[in-house]
Amino acid sequence: MSDLKENLKAQIIEQLNLEDLTPADIQDDAPLFGDQGLGLDSIDALEFIVLLDSNYGIKIADPSEGKEIFQSVNTLADYISKNQ
Amino acid sequence: MRIYVTGYGVISSIGENVEESLLALRSEKTGIKQGQKTYTERFKVGEISWTNEELVQRFQLTQDASRTAILGMIAAKEAFRGHSLNPGIRTGLISGTSVGGMDVSEIAYKDFLNGESDDLSIYRNHPSGSTSEQIAKELGIDEYVNTISTACSSAANSIMLGARMLLSGQLDRVVVGGTDGLSQFTISGFRSLMIFDDEWCRPFDETRKGLNLGEGAGYIVLETEETIKKSGKEPIAILSGWSNASDAYHQTASSPEGFGATLSMKGALAVAGLNPGDIDYINAHGTATPNNDLSESHGIKTVFGSAVPPFSSTKAYTGHTLAASGGIEAVFGILALNRGILLPNLNFKQAIEETGLVPVKNYSEGNTIKHILSNSFGFGGNNSTIILSKV
Amino acid sequence: MYFIQHIESITHQDSFQKKNIWDELKPLTADTGLISPDYKNYIPVAALRRLSTILRMGITVSKACQEKVSHEFDSISVGTALGCLTDTEKFLVTINTVSGDILSPTAFIQSTHNTISGQISLDLKNHAYNMTHTQNALSFEVALKDGLLCIDEGKSSVLVGAADEAIPFLERLRGSLIETSHPFTSGATFMVLSGKKGESISHIQACEVFFSEGNTENRIEKFLSSNNCSLQELDLVLEAGSDFKSKTSAHYSFPDYSGYYQSASAFAVHMANDWFIENSDSEAILIINNMESNKLGLTLIRRNEVEA
Repeated sequence: MSDLKENLKAQIIEQLNLEDLTPADIQDDAPLFGDQGLGLDSIDALEFIVLLDSNYGIKIADPSEGKEIFQSVNTLADYISKNQ
Repeated sequence: MRIYVTGYGVISSIGENVEESLLALRSEKTGIKQGQKTYTERFKVGEISWTNEELVQRFQLTQDASRTAILGMIAAKEAFRGHSLNPGIRTGLISGTSVGGMDVSEIAYKDFLNGESDDLSIYRNHPSGSTSEQIAKELGIDEYVNTISTACSSAANSIMLGARMLLSGQLDRVVVGGTDGLSQFTISGFRSLMIFDDEWCRPFDETRKGLNLGEGAGYIVLETEETIKKSGKEPIAILSGWSNASDAYHQTASSPEGFGATLSMKGALAVAGLNPGDIDYINAHGTATPNNDLSESHGIKTVFGSAVPPFSSTKAYTGHTLAASGGIEAVFGILALNRGILLPNLNFKQAIEETGLVPVKNYSEGNTIKHILSNSFGFGGNNSTIILSKV
Repeated sequence: MYFIQHIESITHQDSFQKKNIWDELKPLTADTGLISPDYKNYIPVAALRRLSTILRMGITVSKACQEKVSHEFDSISVGTALGCLTDTEKFLVTINTVSGDILSPTAFIQSTHNTISGQISLDLKNHAYNMTHTQNALSFEVALKDGLLCIDEGKSSVLVGAADEAIPFLERLRGSLIETSHPFTSGATFMVLSGKKGESISHIQACEVFFSEGNTENRIEKFLSSNNCSLQELDLVLEAGSDFKSKTSAHYSFPDYSGYYQSASAFAVHMANDWFIENSDSEAILIINNMESNKLGLTLIRRNEVEA
């Protein structure tokens, strides 16, 4: 699980062009969206869907499902391990 | 000084001229169906069935060009029919487009990517500005040519700029509107945004999931009072109001409260010197995306309060024709003014819970309609409203 | 009159936030590169990560303009000939190489021409009139004419600008669709115009556009005489695609300095405005944009009169 999370962080940085961040800057339970966390927005949510598809073969058809899944690295990793 | 409309032309999936469009509107017949091209076959789209070559032949166009330019030529020619060029009437063309000649340049570019030789001359069609120059050439217009590219509000903004240039005395007459042909680029683009509805789109419905794309073009001819004396043309409507404002909320999403929409509707009413109560019908932007329709509904409620006039989106007829939509819907608006038509919002069943707004459900003629407000909202929070009035 | 309150450019010259761009101006060589400021000083990192060169340039010069004038812009008018080419090409590659339905949307979103003006409104939280014009080599002039019209209509602080970016693909069209000996370059020039003189040193007197072949000299003479000027009275001509070298005292081909992008005449306005700083006896400058032979843009810029 911790490997998955580390990979995820690197993939998030690449997919979202967060060039100023390193995986160490992203806490497992920190909110990814909104002003409290990384400040990501609805375009990033679509990029997460691309990330899940291209790296894990998981397809999300309805972007509104993403809200729960993309809360943090923890929730993302949970979802991936259950759906892969 | 009044700005008169003296001509109109339209092509979309519901008809290839004004007359055919009226028949389709009257019979509540949508132009949206399962796509026929390799890149549209999996979607419901408002596609025009003819190929580019067929269109050039059918409409006796003098130029082979991109689909966007060809559709533009067809509708602009219809709008300009019966008008003649005359050195005493300075005539311009302002045309909106979002993709320009992408439908042909993307094919050449694909060859290039695949390491095959691409026909470089095809790229001459690519610039959006070239699209308008080709349309202007087809009409013989060379006094002034300009292209507005503000995504889905492009045609409305072209209409607005045309009116302002007439008022300032820079032109005497101007053909204004917009055109967009479907391309793989656009289909894939909106697909990537995940805002397609795989079923028929349902603007302003609680269960709406997204939009259906369409293609087409719509143009109107604007003249000043002075020009009409020279041209002898009979006005078919008055362009009485226009406004553009920026939502400044998000690159693609509209603000939840419809701030930019409210600004543009209020701005157009102010230019027209009208009160909200004077508006008899609203042709809404109504793309059927969850975000647009909710935001626009809030904007409409803010401007019109508890007395929201009859309103509908005609995008369930044509699909969202992007940069052309404001031109196509201006033509529909003129039809509505002159025949007292309330246009139905096809596929509507259930009001959005949060707003309770119910659009026009059935087609009817003979209503008293003096003023129509038409909204067009684009990416980047570009919000535009025009008001058309009965002569 | 349309006073140039402030003007900023990011180009292949060292032209950003300079008192007088002529201090550093030199003809470009083939190996030229864009001279970019540190964009992080102007654009939040969260937004910057997605932005291509044309968007970075456009937003940064707009912001630098807004910082220099106290009033919020009540109109924004942008010209671009080819728009966001980097993102357009990126998305074309995506749709041709990625199989399946799920595509990265960012390049598509940022590929439309009005991403520039839209991002400026977002960045400045500006709700005013916001327009994007595109008309090949006259893209800047048609945007400028909209801005001038806004001032005539009573707007008081109008942002007008143009931006274009080069991509390597353009090199393939050299000699066939694009006739130029200049290097393909990127550039953005934005200016604040106002009907009030303020601290400005120059104003745009008039701008006219032509969309057909015609006798350039006749058109210029007519344009100048309708603005109470003549070729002989011009102190400087900045031109592209025409040759009025022998007819005027000072003359520059502005693409020698901007490189080739179709909205580079906006940079010529910057050259004109700053020319007046050092050349105290210069009064009138004409920009002749004949970059495309079937189009002509004429812009007359004058030094402000000194009040007694």
